[in-house]
Amino acid sequence: MKTLSTLTITPAGATLNGTLLAEAGITGLYRRFVGDYPKFFKMDHLCKLGLLGAELLLKDFTPEEKERGAVVIFNRSGSLDADRHYQSTLAADNYFPSPALFVYTLANIVTGEIAIRHKIYGETSFYIMDARDDTAMQCILDSTLLTSDPSFILTGWIEYAGEDDYIADMKIMIQE
Amino acid sequence: MDNTQIYKLSDNIISPLGMTAGDNLAAVLAGQSRLCLHHGLYDLPEDFCGSVLQREEVDGLFAAECGSGDYTFFERLCILSAARAIRQGGVDPTRRDVLFVLSSTKGNVACLADDPMDERCYIAGSAMRVAQFFGNPNEPIVASNACISGVCAQIAAVRQLLAGRYRTAVVTGCDTLSRFIISGFQSFKALSTSPCRPYDRDRTGLNLGEAAGTIILRTGGEADVDAGLWQFRACSIHNDANHISGPSRTGEGSYRVLRDILDRVPAGQLACVCTHGTATAYNDEMESIALHRAGLDTVPVCGLKGYYGHTLGAAGIVETIISMAALEQGVIPATRGYRAQGTTYALNLSDAVRRTDRLGFIKILSGFGGSNAGIAYVKGGRA
Amino acid sequence: MEELIEQLKAQIIEVLNLEDMTPADIDANAPLFGEGLGLDSIDVLELIVMLEKEYGIRLSNPAEGKAIFASVATIADYVSKNRKK
Repeated sequence: MKTLSTLTITPAGATLNGTLLAEAGITGLYRRFVGDYPKFFKMDHLCKLGLLGAELLLKDFTPEEKERGAVVIFNRSGSLDADRHYQSTLAADNYFPSPALFVYTLANIVTGEIAIRHKIYGETSFYIMDARDDTAMQCILDSTLLTSDPSFILTGWIEYAGEDDYIADMKIMIQE
Repeated sequence: MDNTQIYKLSDNIISPLGMTAGDNLAAVLAGQSRLCLHHGLYDLPEDFCGSVLQREEVDGLFAAECGSGDYTFFERLCILSAARAIRQGGVDPTRRDVLFVLSSTKGNVACLADDPMDERCYIAGSAMRVAQFFGNPNEPIVASNACISGVCAQIAAVRQLLAGRYRTAVVTGCDTLSRFIISGFQSFKALSTSPCRPYDRDRTGLNLGEAAGTIILRTGGEADVDAGLWQFRACSIHNDANHISGPSRTGEGSYRVLRDILDRVPAGQLACVCTHGTATAYNDEMESIALHRAGLDTVPVCGLKGYYGHTLGAAGIVETIISMAALEQGVIPATRGYRAQGTTYALNLSDAVRRTDRLGFIKILSGFGGSNAGIAYVKGGRA
Repeated sequence: MEELIEQLKAQIIEVLNLEDMTPADIDANAPLFGEGLGLDSIDVLELIVMLEKEYGIRLSNPAEGKAIFASVATIADYVSKNRKK
C-alpha cells in the first residue's frame, strides 16, 4: 500500500502533509475547516478528532470513491474518556444515565461518525493496542486487503487524554 | 493465498447454559434459557431481564483449571474459555505462530465505578494478561466494534492466517454485565423486562447476557479439505453510513455484507443464516429488509438471543459456535421467543428445531456505529 | 408559562449541545424534530432524562415522547401539568 496524504492534529494545531494548516484547538479547527455540521458538538473528543481528520484528508475524493472506502482506527484507551464521562452520571445519589454520553462509550463510534459524514459504506473497524506499534498497525491494514477491496483506507491513531494532550495521526492509504 | 484454507480446530462456550459448547448446544436444543428478571443487581434502581453467570461457579472452575492469579472476573472468563478450547484443540499456546485475538466491547469497564483512573480499564491490557497467562509471546489483536466485535475478531484472525503470519489463532469474545452497561441500554429504552422475542410481532426490546466464547482457527492445506472440519469461506464488514445508534431503514450495510458473502458462497449451500435478532423493533425490521434484498427470504433464519440475551463482544463467537454445533447434528436451532411475523418481510423463521442436511451458514451481526459484519463457514468437502 | 418556555429553551440548548444557538433562535411553536432543529432519536432520549432530572417527570415509554416533544410549547404545557419539582 502507499500513503497518499497524512494529517496530524495535536493541541499545537493541524499539519497536512508536513505543512502547518492552522494553529488552533479542536473547536477552532472545526470553525475553520468544517463549520456546517452542528452534530460535531454532540460528539465525544475521539469522534471530534476523527471527524476533523477525515474532513481534511477526504476533501478531494469523489462520492463514488468515498462509498467504497474503508475506515480503520487504532488507539490504546478505546473510549475511556467517554466512559469516565458517562460513569459520572451513574452516582447513587445523582443517577441520571445519559444516552447521549453512553452512545460514545463504544470506541468504534468514531468510525461510524466518519462514515456518516462522508457516506462511506465500506469496512469500518476499530482496534485497541497496548501501545502504538506502527508495524503491527500496518500488518492489520495490509491484511485487510486479503478479504476486501476498498478504494482507500482512512486510518490512524487517535488518542484523547485531556485538553492539552491529544493526537490524531491519520493518513489515507491506497492499494499499489 | 488461494491455497490457504482456514479451519475451526476447537471451541468453547462459558455461559449460564453451560461450560462447554456441547452443554450449551444441548441446552439450546432443549429450549432452555437463564434469562430472568433481576432486582437490585449492581444497585440498579430499575429491574432488568438478563442472563447472568454464577460467579462462584466460574471462580471454582477457574481455580481448579487455571490456578490463582490476580485477574478480574472478565479476564478469568476469557482465560477459562480459551484454556478449555486450547486443551481440546491440543494447541501449544507458547508457540510463536499462535496469535491471540480478543473481542470485547467494554472489557473491565466495571472497574471505573471505584476508580476512574483504574489501569485495568485498558482492554488491550486485559488481552495481554490473557495471552501472557498462556505464555504466548505475541502481541494480541483486540477488535472493539460494539456488537459486531465477535465476527470482526474472527475476520481479523482469518486475515492474519491468510497473510501467513501465524498458523493458529485463538479468538476469544467476552463481556460481563455491570451497572455501566445495563444502565446505558436502559437509558436507550432498549431493554425488554421479559425474555426477548426476536422478530416477533410483540417484541419489546433486547436482553443482555454474559458469556465467553473461544473459537480456535488454524491454517490447513488442500489435504485438510476433506477431513470434515468447518472451513472459513467468506467474510465482509460494511457501514450503514446512516446513524450512530439507529439501524438503517434500508438495511444497507447488512445487505452489502450478505451480497459480498453470497458472491463466494451460493445460497444453495446454506442451511441457515444465524442473524443478529436482538428483538428491538428496528434491528429486526432492518435485518428482514437486508435479507429480503439479498434474496434470502426462503433460506432458514435463526436468532439465538432468546437463549442468551445479547452477549455483546461474545455474541459473534458464541452464536457462530452454536450454529456449527447444531448443523453438525443436522439441525437448525429454534428461534426462542418467536411466534408470529413481526417484520415487513416474512423470514423463514421457526420456534421449533428444524432438520437440515446442509452444512453451511452465515453469521451476521449489526450494531452501534452503523456497523455490520458477516462470516460464512462450510463444513467438510468442496464447494 | 413564558418563563418556563425560556427556561426550557436554555435547558434544551445545554443538554443537546446546540452550540451555536441561543434561546432567541428557537421558535417555541416550531417543530423540534425533522425539519426544525433537526433533532434525532438520541436527542429524544436525552430530553426524557432532562424531564426526569429537572422536573421529576418519568416517561417510561419513549413513544409518548413524540407528542410531548413536538415543540418547546408542547413540552412546556406537559411540564406545567406534570412536574413534581
